[in-house]
Amino acid sequence: MAVKKHIFTPVSEKEVTRAIVDAFARQFIEYVESDCLIIGGGPSGLMVGRDIALKGVKTLIVERNNYIGGGFWIGGYLMNKVTVREPGQKILEELGIPYEKAVKGLYVADGPHACSKLIAAACDAGVKFANMTIFDDVVLREGNQVCGAVVNWTPVNALPREITCVDPIALESKFVVDSTGHDACVVKKLEERGILKTIGFGAMWVEQSEDLVVEHTGEAHPGLIVTGMAVATTYGLPRMGPTFGAMLLSGRKGAQVILEKMKKK
Amino acid sequence: MSDFFHPIPSTIDLFGEGDLNGLDITQLGEYLEEKTHIPFRRRGNIYKRFSEEGIQVAAEKLARVRVRDPGKKYVSGIPFQAEVDYEKRRIRDPNWKIFGILYEGALYQKIISDLIFGSRLGLEHCSILFTNQLFGTWDRGNNRYHARVSLYGFPSLISITGLVVAPAKPKEFYLKKQMGTLMEWLKEEYQGRFLDHGDLRMTEVLKGYAVQALFFYLTGEPFCEDRDCRLFNSHWQEEVLHSQMDGQYEFCPRHESILKGLRERR
Repeated sequence: MAVKKHIFTPVSEKEVTRAIVDAFARQFIEYVESDCLIIGGGPSGLMVGRDIALKGVKTLIVERNNYIGGGFWIGGYLMNKVTVREPGQKILEELGIPYEKAVKGLYVADGPHACSKLIAAACDAGVKFANMTIFDDVVLREGNQVCGAVVNWTPVNALPREITCVDPIALESKFVVDSTGHDACVVKKLEERGILKTIGFGAMWVEQSEDLVVEHTGEAHPGLIVTGMAVATTYGLPRMGPTFGAMLLSGRKGAQVILEKMKKK
Repeated sequence: MSDFFHPIPSTIDLFGEGDLNGLDITQLGEYLEEKTHIPFRRRGNIYKRFSEEGIQVAAEKLARVRVRDPGKKYVSGIPFQAEVDYEKRRIRDPNWKIFGILYEGALYQKIISDLIFGSRLGLEHCSILFTNQLFGTWDRGNNRYHARVSLYGFPSLISITGLVVAPAKPKEFYLKKQMGTLMEWLKEEYQGRFLDHGDLRMTEVLKGYAVQALFFYLTGEPFCEDRDCRLFNSHWQEEVLHSQMDGQYEFCPRHESILKGLRERR
C-alpha cells in the first residue's frame, strides 16, 4: 500500500516560533534606528513612506492597529468606495489603482483595492512596519529637535495599569512624521510638554480645505513633519468631506520636504 | 443733501485680492459710475508693489488674525512658520486660488486699511476691496464666528468666497449633505438656487454689494429692509438672488431717489 505524501513539508512548532522571533528580532534591531519614523499608517503616512523609501530612505511605520491603511479602506458612512478630486487620480494611476469618474473632477475607486495597492506599494518600496505598536512619547535632543519616538505594544494601553506596568522603548530617527490623523498624537505630545501650541481643527466645512492641508504640510517643529489630517489639527484648518486626494498629495509633499532636508544634511 | 453724512467721494477705488474668479471689475465699475456719476478706478491687486520686507510684515500680520476655532472668540497668538509661509505664497501670487482660512473680519480690515492707506485716513475715495478670502465676525447671539459676504468700512471688504459660503443654501441641501450625499451631486440637483464659485451671475450680484459699500460710505447705513431692493441684507442664497436679480425693482423708491440726487449733484 502506497504511503500518502504530505502537501506541506513537516516542520515542528518550535521551528515556526523560532522563525517568527528571529525574523522579527532581526528587523526590529535593524530599525531601532532609522532615517524616518512615521507614526500612523493611514494613506498620508503610507504615501510618505512609499515615496521616501523609493529613494533609499530607511523607513519604519508605527501603527497602533493590527491593520495598516487607517480610514483608506472605506469612504464616508462605512461605504467602501473612496473618492479623490483632480489631481489625486494621478497618484491612483501611478499606483495602478483602477478608478472611474464620478462627476467632473471627482473620481471614485474601491477602498479595499486602493488601500491594499498603496500598502503593497509602500512594502515594495522597502518600508517596514511595526503594527500593534502605539506612540507614547517623543525623543528630543538639543534645541528640542525631535529625533525619535517612544513606543509600546498597543494591548498594554488597553489593560488596567496595575496589570501592565510595562515600560515603553525608544526608537531613534533623523525625522519623525506625524500622520496620526485628527489626533495629531505627536504634535499633541509636544504641546503637553509646552514645546508647541496646537490650534485644533476648525468646525467650518469648506471644499477648499483639501488644498489647505496640502499647502500647510511640512515641518511644524525641527525634526517633525506633519502630514494628512494631523495638519488640519495642528493649524486649525477647516474640516473636509470624505475625499482622500489631500491625504495622498500631503503625503507626497511631506516626502519631498524630508528628501530636501536629507539632501541638506 | 441731508441723506449724507460724508462728502461725495472723488472716485470709487476698486481693489482686488487673489483670483476674483467670475467677477468683471470693469463692468462693475461702469455700473457704479452709471448709477452715481462718480468715476471709478481699477486699483488692481493690493500687494502688487510690495517689497520682500513688506511681504514678510504683511504675512506675519495676516497669519496672526486667523480664527482658530469658530466657536471661540479670537485670541491673539504667535503663528506657526508654516502659516506665515502660506501667507507669503498667497501675497506673492496675484492669482492665488486657495481659500478656506477664516480671518477675524475687523482685524483683517485693519490690516487691509493699513496696506491701502498707510498713515492717511483715506476718506477722499470710496475704497472697496474684492477678495477671494473668507472673513467672519463674532456673533454674540450664538457665540460663534460666522463667515460674511461683506464688511463695510474704510475700506469696505467684499468676499466672493463669502458670497458662496456665507448665505445659507436651501434647508434640504444641508439635510442631504448630512446624509452623506456628495457635494458634486448636490450642486447638480440644486443648480441655479445658489451661487457657486465662478458663477456667471457673480458680477451682477456683486454690483448690489458694491452699492451697499457706497451707501455705507455716504450715509453710514448700507442696508434696506425692502427685500426687493439691492441693499437688502440677505441671509439666504435665495434672498441674495431675489434682491440682486429678480426683485420688483433695482432699488426701492427711497434709495433710488438718493441715487438720483447723487447723479444730479455730479
